[in-house]
Amino acid sequence: MMTEETSTVAVRVRFMGDLRAVIGKRDQTMTLPQGSTVGDLFASLCRSYGEPFVSRVFSKAGALQHYVVVFVNGKNIKEAGGLGTRLEESEIEIVMLPMFEGG
Amino acid sequence: MESNWVLTSCGMCYVGCGIRVRVDDGVVTGIEGDPNHPQNRGNMCAKGKAGLMNLYNPHRLKTPLKRTNPKKGLHEDPKWQEISWEEALSTITERLGAIREDPKKLYVQAWEVIGDNFYWLLALGSAFGTPHLMGNASATCGKVIHPVEFFSGGGFHQQPDLHYCKYLVLVGTQFAIAARGAFNHILRDMAEARARGMKLVVVDPVGGFAASKADEWVPIRPGTDSAFALGMLHVLLNEAGIYDEKFLQHRTNAAYLVGPHGRYLRDPVSGKPLIYDAADRSAKIFDDPAVKEPAIAGSYDFEGLKARPSFELLREHVRQYPPEKVEEITSVPAKTIRRIAREFGEAVSIGATMMLDGVELPSRPACVDWAKGPQGHKHGFHQSWALKLINIVTGAVNVPGGILSTAAAGKRPFLWWPDGGTDGLLEDGGHILPLPHPKAFPGRTPTRPIRMDLAELFPLAPHFHTLLPITSEDPARWGLDYRIEVMLHAPTNSLLGSFGDIKMVERFYQTIPFIFGFGIEINETNLFDDIVLPFPTYLERYDFVAGTGLLIPHCGKDDWFWQVRQPAVKPPEGIRYPQEVIMEIAARLGILDDFYRLLNHAFRMKEPYTLEAGKRYSVTEVIDRMARCWFGEERGLEWFQENGLVRIPRDVEEAYIGPFIHARLPVYLEHFLQRGEELKEVTDGMGLKWDFSDYVPLPEWLPCPAYDAVKRDGFDLIAVHFKFPYVYGSYGNDNPWIDELCEKTGAYGVLIHSDVAKAKGIADGDEVWLESPVEKVRAKAKVTQCIHPQVVGIGGHFGHWAPGMPIAQGKGVNFNALLPTEMERIDKISTALDHCVEVRVYK
Ligand code: SF4
Repeated sequence: MMTEETSTVAVRVRFMGDLRAVIGKRDQTMTLPQGSTVGDLFASLCRSYGEPFVSRVFSKAGALQHYVVVFVNGKNIKEAGGLGTRLEESEIEIVMLPMFEGG
Repeated sequence: MESNWVLTSCGMCYVGCGIRVRVDDGVVTGIEGDPNHPQNRGNMCAKGKAGLMNLYNPHRLKTPLKRTNPKKGLHEDPKWQEISWEEALSTITERLGAIREDPKKLYVQAWEVIGDNFYWLLALGSAFGTPHLMGNASATCGKVIHPVEFFSGGGFHQQPDLHYCKYLVLVGTQFAIAARGAFNHILRDMAEARARGMKLVVVDPVGGFAASKADEWVPIRPGTDSAFALGMLHVLLNEAGIYDEKFLQHRTNAAYLVGPHGRYLRDPVSGKPLIYDAADRSAKIFDDPAVKEPAIAGSYDFEGLKARPSFELLREHVRQYPPEKVEEITSVPAKTIRRIAREFGEAVSIGATMMLDGVELPSRPACVDWAKGPQGHKHGFHQSWALKLINIVTGAVNVPGGILSTAAAGKRPFLWWPDGGTDGLLEDGGHILPLPHPKAFPGRTPTRPIRMDLAELFPLAPHFHTLLPITSEDPARWGLDYRIEVMLHAPTNSLLGSFGDIKMVERFYQTIPFIFGFGIEINETNLFDDIVLPFPTYLERYDFVAGTGLLIPHCGKDDWFWQVRQPAVKPPEGIRYPQEVIMEIAARLGILDDFYRLLNHAFRMKEPYTLEAGKRYSVTEVIDRMARCWFGEERGLEWFQENGLVRIPRDVEEAYIGPFIHARLPVYLEHFLQRGEELKEVTDGMGLKWDFSDYVPLPEWLPCPAYDAVKRDGFDLIAVHFKFPYVYGSYGNDNPWIDELCEKTGAYGVLIHSDVAKAKGIADGDEVWLESPVEKVRAKAKVTQCIHPQVVGIGGHFGHWAPGMPIAQGKGVNFNALLPTEMERIDKISTALDHCVEVRVYK
């Protein structure tokens, strides 16, 4: 049987860009079941922060807006498995970058 | 005397031409174009040549300053006091620290695309956590072209393919004659194309530089470009029956069936759009490999629902714009519209192909190009989109002779390529940097705003800063319970060039308690600064990104390039490299590691070149790492300093990406309907009156406020803006050589048609009053036949009053100051501020 210690992972999520204003804080520590993915983390954040969070982060179900960049322990999830990236004890940054350039 | 030549990059505008700078005993004595540089092939423009006068401008800022007069205003003397860098940086850190827990109170104006500063300031703002990051300068330019281009071409900007084009229509742009990226390259292509016999038609209220080189100048009433385009489309599609059927069937959404309420008919299981396959008379999913003959005409019944292909709807829609009606709107004679459309239709040679390096490609040697003019209107998105549709229905997109997307795809030093997404349509634009490109498809879900620029209420726009002066008047009206408290700006003169109504901009700046930024000279924006930091000129800087060659290089098969800017001379003592200032601010705020992470991401930095947490770097170390990461261990900063640039050949696929993109282009914007409905719920919930007339899937012509206003209130003319090839923004105006050029060419005058001038008793050179609903200024009349008779033309970016710009002071008119700034004048799709304004002119 898994102990409490091993059945969950603790992650610290830091928000940059518009999301910091939506969430109202700079970072948040979250506990998720062992084996959770970045997608699960987002599902949990969506439940907590509702429509203002969802509409800014997802272009449609399961697809992040192109201006949302997620780093897990400093690595861009695009290069690590996208929303399916497994979470361990992680430092996660969710950044909303500006649509830059032009005119 | 010690003489040497330094290879570097011009920074007198955003183009970034390659230059050779002669330095004698540490003094710059001459600048020449670098003949080996693809961006300009040895050419230079007058601005570039004049650059050394900016370098040795006696009014340059060389030490940090702080204001001692707390009162701020357009004509308020800041009473500057020189301070040390330490005092400047600790004050800045303290003021930023005070909003650290609520970072949205920071507003960053990052636009300065001469070099790295733009990307670095955006990264600093993002690491700080604010959403208020302005990555564009103009209140109109770029608001539409980039989102349209990314979803209907795949790249950042567009360029007619001058190598093969035989018939070019320029609408509201002086492409390759007085303006645009890769200016000194495309200039020569344009001359060669004209010499080869390409017909050039210029449709513009102003008969300026482009018109002077054209075979035909077609004066048009401002704000009616979409009517002109819809008239052309009507002639092509309904009168002449000219369109590229195969292209429309297989490479666009022309065959997607549209059912009731304007929505696609979708497969109930996959949710994908359906088409009607005429080959076996059945409905299929659009990407079903069995599809043979997708129907783009006709009407079909599906379980009681009537559906028609979207192209059929477009064709029917444009029937509302016969040339006779378009003549009433635009003042362009019906027979001219008809003739141009037919000439275009013939020249575009639908069905033709050509061989290039052994690859067979469609050949479409005709296209329409547009840029700043059509974007700058109350309905700027649709004014422009209708023009783009002409290229799409004729298949003249990203193929030889047609309209090409700039920097959309490349294979070296990385692979980047545009790609399809939602409903098989082009969704992901191609971009060398992995940063979010401006896009309007599929858009975002609108929601109640948190942002001061109301980005949430503009779900299809990429830029939003035009809203700031409006919301700052009364944030509570928009449900906002805070204000911008700190502004950080690049050395760009945004106060003068990025907004409209100057009194409103003054009030906006007055609401911000602490403003700091960079300055080369003290311009009008700096007059509102609490602290101003001296900024080196381009001849004293290092930049990994030198100009906009990464976004708007010349198109076609000519080599691409990468250049690193290096200083020709050292900056004066007291001036620091801006990248090092930005890193210092980030370090003092404790966000340097986050800043590195974003910079590593933005510049695709990989081990072992990444900027490492906890370390400090000089600007040369950072650029050296970037250069080696991109171009190999042996090509670091030193290599670039010696060799100037890397030339990068492009193959046929990179040059003409049309047939090589796995995505369809739109002719019907279904998602506009959904976004409009979602937005309505939000604005209704907020009790806001909102104009939804632009949330339609097919473009309409709708009038700007000025269009009707000229018939009332004593306003009888419409003022528009145009460009000079020797003036870029307002930077460089305090330059005696450029000033002399402007004086000699009458650039400071405002253009008035000779018939109008005669009727008003105005003679050439007379001082007149020019009055808009929000501003009244003195101007010198330049009487000419080269302007639409209902129009006043105002060129350049003049009208300076800052004492730090004594040469430019009091010369010409600041066009933007005349523009009323209110929701009624903002394009509800793109946020462009209407750039045509009703005026009266009198002595
Ligand atoms: S086009 Fe711009 S970059 Fe090129 S020489 Fe002229 S000012 Fe310099």
